[in-house]
Amino acid sequence: MSPRHYAAAGTEAIVEAMRPSTQDPVIEARGVSFAYRARSGSAKTPHVAVRNVDLAVRRGEIYALLGTNGAGKTTTLEVLEGHRAATSGTITVLGGDPSDRRRIRPRMGIMLQDSGLAAELSVRESVALAGAISGRGDDVDKLLDRVGISHRSRTRVAQLSGGEKRRVDFAMAVWGSPELVFLDEPTTGLDPAARDALWTVVAELKADGVTFLLTTHYLEEAEKHADRVGLMHAGSIRRQGTLADLTEGGLSTIRFVPPGALDDIPIPLARTQNGLAVIETTDAQRDLAALLEWAAGQGYPLRRLTVQESGLDDIFRALGHEAPGHEAPGREVPRNEAAAHEGTGL
Amino acid sequence: MNAIAIAESRMLLRNRLVSGCAILLPLAFGLLLYASRDTHKPGGAIAGVQTVLMIAMGTYVTATTTLAARRQTLFLKRMRGAAVSDKEIITGLLLPVVAVNIVQIGVVFAILAATDAPADPLLLAVAVILAEAMFTGLALATAGFTNSPEHAQYTTAPVFLVTLAAAVWFQVTSLGGPIAVKRALPGGAVAELVSTAWNGGGLGAVPVLLAASLGWAIAGVLAARACFRWEPRR
Repeated sequence: MSPRHYAAAGTEAIVEAMRPSTQDPVIEARGVSFAYRARSGSAKTPHVAVRNVDLAVRRGEIYALLGTNGAGKTTTLEVLEGHRAATSGTITVLGGDPSDRRRIRPRMGIMLQDSGLAAELSVRESVALAGAISGRGDDVDKLLDRVGISHRSRTRVAQLSGGEKRRVDFAMAVWGSPELVFLDEPTTGLDPAARDALWTVVAELKADGVTFLLTTHYLEEAEKHADRVGLMHAGSIRRQGTLADLTEGGLSTIRFVPPGALDDIPIPLARTQNGLAVIETTDAQRDLAALLEWAAGQGYPLRRLTVQESGLDDIFRALGHEAPGHEAPGREVPRNEAAAHEGTGL
Repeated sequence: MNAIAIAESRMLLRNRLVSGCAILLPLAFGLLLYASRDTHKPGGAIAGVQTVLMIAMGTYVTATTTLAARRQTLFLKRMRGAAVSDKEIITGLLLPVVAVNIVQIGVVFAILAATDAPADPLLLAVAVILAEAMFTGLALATAGFTNSPEHAQYTTAPVFLVTLAAAVWFQVTSLGGPIAVKRALPGGAVAELVSTAWNGGGLGAVPVLLAASLGWAIAGVLAARACFRWEPRR
């Protein structure tokens, strides 16, 4: 829309046009690689931690990076945060360079994997310091209360537990509700109640339009809270998309205690395991109906009957068996994801 | 920057070991030198040695230790994730250390000046500022290859010992030796400059001394730019 059009359309149209769309890419990374330099005096070659990563995170979504140990999640996050300069590839965060501390950093919050807190400062002083250099404004006491650490406000950081330090870290990252928040394993070391409290704050901020890019080892958290998930292995993103995209075509599992002879069962058994008959199927609804019909016809009770859909953990475990250079054909980026990339210039 | 400097001041005061090393030790050293001075000599001789050794101890060693500690705990990395520049971070971290050191030097100078006032206070101030710049730069450079606060005890030793040797060489005139070498050592020119500013008299050597001191200050800053690291080596 040209300035002349803005003038004709009036203030409301201008505000509407300037309002960030939920389809706006907040993070765009294309072909990003990063290698740690070999140490001087060492014969070691550079360690490539991130390989050719393409990633687009849209405004207002929660994107979770999952991966095996040493997959490159933290390095990827640090490159996208602007902490490390990519060896190759292009990165745009909030429309600019993430290492731009005057223009871009005030719009970003960062929670590092390792805390970097000063042991001699109190919780309140630490959060106030982070706020003072963030370029954003907030009320320190309200924020401490919001993240559930206000009762330790005057306690020195050295005296905090690991979980309490993570809450302080989280408070620093979300100070002043930035547009974009990076969270590196935010719930590691937190008890279940503290994890729930953290996710509640994340959900509240998301409702206000805040975008999150996070890493986690807790698959159930990613399944529950993330809009989209990227699965990393050996430095590259092997699959990414919504949970439905990623699990589509995966095997669901039906388990039950064998009621007796299974010779005439209409669906082939995959195996028996721990006294349970196991059926693996790509169409759980159809096969479950057939199984129930057969059992009813035979008068068999199906004790301990469960149906488990294919989940992230199945895909995640399969990743561990993939060779470093392996690319899953046709699954790297689902079609809808590829279309989204085309729309954002990736 | 102010917020960082205030936080750093708190940390400096709350860590007893650091505050002892940064505040009490240099001051005690300066006062000890004053007490053991040769009262027959003009005050400039002892003022030069006091300045060099107190800055080496209070600014150089403390700043190196502080920076290594802040890097080891990833405090520096956290700072760099915020909306402040590297210069603001470094200035904020080092300002309290340098400020405390300048106050210490002010205290011992005031005691010395009570009996023997400096002839050229402006030149004295310039000499102290150059020495602070030189040792701050060297601290940043030394911190680049210092992994931990404990490691700083070893990595600061070479510069500190050479400085100590230069100061002793300067004060004990009977040792003789080539004056150019004496002035070229870190702290050698500064000690002589302070002495000249305090005692007055011939200012013919001042340009050379200023050049040598400025050269070390520039070398310190260049070394800092080349060697300083923000994160622990992995």
